[in-house]
Parts: sequence; C-alpha cells; structure tokens
Amino acid sequence: MIELAPRHKFGLPIASPVMPAAGAFGYGDTYHDLVDLRALGALVTNPVSLNPREAARGQRIAVHGEHFIAHTGLPNPGVQRVLRQYRQMWERLPIPVIVHLIATSPAETAKAAERLAGIPNVVGIELGLIDSITPQRALSLLDAARAEGDLPVIVRVPFNSVDMLAPRLAEGGADALTIAAPPRAVLPVADVLGDEEAVHYIRGRLYGPALLPLLLNTLARWRSKLPVPVIACGGIATLQDAIACLELGATAVQIDALLWRDPALLQRIAEGLAKFDFSTVSG
Amino acid sequence: MVKSQDAIFRQAYPAPPYWAARFDVPNPPAPGAFVLADLGGPLREVLFPSAIDADGFTVMLPPRHPATRLLPGTTVNVLGPLGQGFRLNGATRLLLVAEAASLPPLLPLLEAAPAVALVVEAPTRAQLPSPDRFPPAVELTLVTRDGSAGYLGPLESQDPVPANLQRVLLRLVELIAWAECACFACAPDRYPALAAIVRAARIQPAPDFAQALIQTAMPCGVGACEVCRIPTRAGEKHVCADGPVFDILTL
Repeated sequence: MIELAPRHKFGLPIASPVMPAAGAFGYGDTYHDLVDLRALGALVTNPVSLNPREAARGQRIAVHGEHFIAHTGLPNPGVQRVLRQYRQMWERLPIPVIVHLIATSPAETAKAAERLAGIPNVVGIELGLIDSITPQRALSLLDAARAEGDLPVIVRVPFNSVDMLAPRLAEGGADALTIAAPPRAVLPVADVLGDEEAVHYIRGRLYGPALLPLLLNTLARWRSKLPVPVIACGGIATLQDAIACLELGATAVQIDALLWRDPALLQRIAEGLAKFDFSTVSG
Repeated sequence: MVKSQDAIFRQAYPAPPYWAARFDVPNPPAPGAFVLADLGGPLREVLFPSAIDADGFTVMLPPRHPATRLLPGTTVNVLGPLGQGFRLNGATRLLLVAEAASLPPLLPLLEAAPAVALVVEAPTRAQLPSPDRFPPAVELTLVTRDGSAGYLGPLESQDPVPANLQRVLLRLVELIAWAECACFACAPDRYPALAAIVRAARIQPAPDFAQALIQTAMPCGVGACEVCRIPTRAGEKHVCADGPVFDILTL
C-alpha cells in the first residue's frame, strides 16, 4: 500500500499510485464501462462546493494544436445533493473516494468538510484553491477543512503558486499536496464558423502535453524538500510520464483531462506501474 | 453501456457545402446519437451520422475537418454509440426543422416515416441545400433570412414583411399542427422561441412530440467533464448523457 497521509492519525493508504484528477472523471458513475476501477488507487471526484454552482455561460472549450483550455465554471449540485446522489454508490466502489472540495470561504469550507465526515468510503478531502490566493488565505482554508471532521486533507496547489504555497501548506498541516492545478490560459476562438478573422478570447484551464515538462521541473526543484507526499498532476499522458513523476519524488500521479481522449490511459498507467521495477532506477 | 470500438475509415468526398466521410463500424449510432472519434487531436471529435446502415455510417463534416485527411482503410477508435437519439415512437407524419448548417444529423430521418416535411433555413439563397438532394417524397420548405429564396425567416420571427415576401411562421405552425412528431436541429439559443411556437400550435403536446438536437462540444461523452451542461426546466443536464436530443418543451 502507498501512504498518502503518513502524518494523519488514520492515514490514507491506496493500493495504486494512479488516480484521476478532479474534474476529469465525474463522480465515479461515468467511466465504469471503460475503466476497471480496481486498477486505480482512488477516485478523486469532480469539484464539489457547499452550495450548488451553475455551469459557465458561453463557449467552454477551445483547442489550439495539441492543447486545449476548458472553462466549465465548476458546476455541481452542492455537497448535500452530491452525497444524496452518490454516497451509496461510493460505498460500493472497489476503491476509496477523495472528494475535491472547492474552497471558497473558511466558513463554507468548514461546513462542507463537516458534511463529508463519516461518509462510508470517503477517505480524504482534496482542497481546490483559487489561483490568486494568498498564503494566509490558503492556510485559513486548510485550517477550516481540518477543523471539522477527521479526514486527511490534500491541497491542490495552483500551478503558478507552488513555490509560494507548497512549503507553507506542508508546514501548516496539509497531509499531502497535489502539484498542480492546471494553469489558467487564454485562447482566441472564431466568432463564426469558417471566419478565422473574427475572433473572441476565452479564458480557462490549460491542458496538454506542454504541462508535463513544467510539472517535472517543479517536482525536480522541490524533490525531497517537502515533508508531505506529493501527487503529481499535469500533462501525464503515458506510462513513461508517470514513471518520471515518481522518479522525481512524487508519491502518486493524477491523470487530468487528457483521459477524455483515452479513458483507458488510467488503467494502462496503473497496470504499467504495478509491473515497473523502481529498484532499477538510479536515485 | 459505453463501448470503445474500432471503425474503418472508407472514404471522404465533397458534398458541398460539406465533405462526406464514410466509416464502417460494427455498432453505428442511431439518428441523433453520436460517436466520439479519436482523430489524433487532443480531444475526440463528435460525429453525428447523416446516413446509417448495418455496416456503418456517413457523416457530413466541414471541408477542413481532420477526418477528411484520413487515408482510406485507416482504423479509427471511436467511443459509442453515445447519447439518446431521436424517439419517433411510430410517427407517420414527421416534421424536420433545421438551420442549413445544423441539418446533417436530421438527414437519416428523411425516410423514417411515410410522410416527411422538411423546413430548412439558411442566411441566404447560396447557403440553402439544393432541393434535388432530398428524396422526392419529402415536402420541402425553404427559408432564407434575407428573403432571397423561399419564405422569409427567421423561423420564429413575427415581424411585418414587405408585400412580395411571406413569413415562414404561419407555414411552420401549420406543419407543427400536421405532424405527429417534430425534430429540430438549430442553434440551442433558438429553442426556447421554437418551443413557444410548438406550444402555440398544439394544445398540450405529448412528451417528446417536439424534440431538439443540441450540437455542442462534448469532450468526454459520458457526463464526466461538465463542459456540455445546459440549463433545462428540470435543472442543468449533460447534453452528452441526458441528450443530445431533448424534448424541446423542457429547454
């Protein structure tokens, strides 16, 4: 077993170091025909907030070469309805569930965390932070999530704030860190089909292979310097990508929206890592 | 159950203003349903069939679509069939209403009932499909937004018109009253207005009397990614998993 929360009283053991990233895999009810969940370490749910959130208006996705940006507005029916709809299914899943919580205010975060406490098979919270968050605000949200309930708290660190936030969150009580949330980006999109000159711009989260070298750079820089496990996330598209992340110190990997194109990727990477002999890797 | 299957790309040929691409696949999608094809880009491409047979389907695509660059015989992985297609429920009088740019997914329905009426709207005459491309038995109503051919659109407009032109709205109401089932393929933001026309033309239409196809980006196809969520009268729904065909009165 791989321990994602060694400092937590209950721990967060997972059988495989591979899991889907928040927002990529739904709530566990969507990909079961295409992915054998037993191969994965955990289900990380779509982002959930205390109160319902509606979908973003307008165009939500734009492709540019090998990359794309997506802007969904993180729609969800709120933690109460999510639990009503999925808690029985989560209880029956063959893997543990980590609920990704959208951290807004400390009060809302505390309430949402409280509602997740004691839900069968929910073994952890992954806290999602806004990109421009200050360290003080991030720590207050982390405290709020930890104060209510006994679940280990993983914090997903914004892509551009890893240097500023990761050490403070690790020292501030985070049980693990997900590095990193996809960065924000802007792309032009055609206003009218076929008219390439008339464009407007959409903002969203960036996905694609270029995130991987940036992720590896971050992992290499922080290797062995963080006192908590790191879950690597961003641009992982092959078994070799996942191996590189683990070699550079990550304890586990999350596969982001790249799995929409190839859902079997999750299982392939998990099965490949199960067979991989890390003892052959030089330190 | 969502399945992954291998399709064989057979050929692509011009079918102005589209390109037609033929795929052989063991389990083709029904009209209004779709597959997600892995054509090498970062996201799968949504393919709605425009013609279906036991061995596969044909899809109408924009001229520079990546499928038009495939070599004949190429194996393409597809997810699907996905989504809920049109439900005709044995209708004998079928009305099809589409903008020209959104028309292809309705084409498999042209011979799906003994009597079919088709209303096609385009911005101008040049963008209307040629009438000889439709089966002769289909009762065709052409609409242009500038009045350059057929009735004057838009479909839902009631504005006054010059004496030499005729608004399509009365004709549309007449056809909705005639039909046993109506299928729409337009831009999603037009559906509330079209639903109002359906309500005006029919007293308490049965559920699914009028169905609307929503053509939008659907990156995952299974309701995981939240990109395709739309507001409905019953709360937000996933176009890919709950649709892409909805009762128009719920939109």
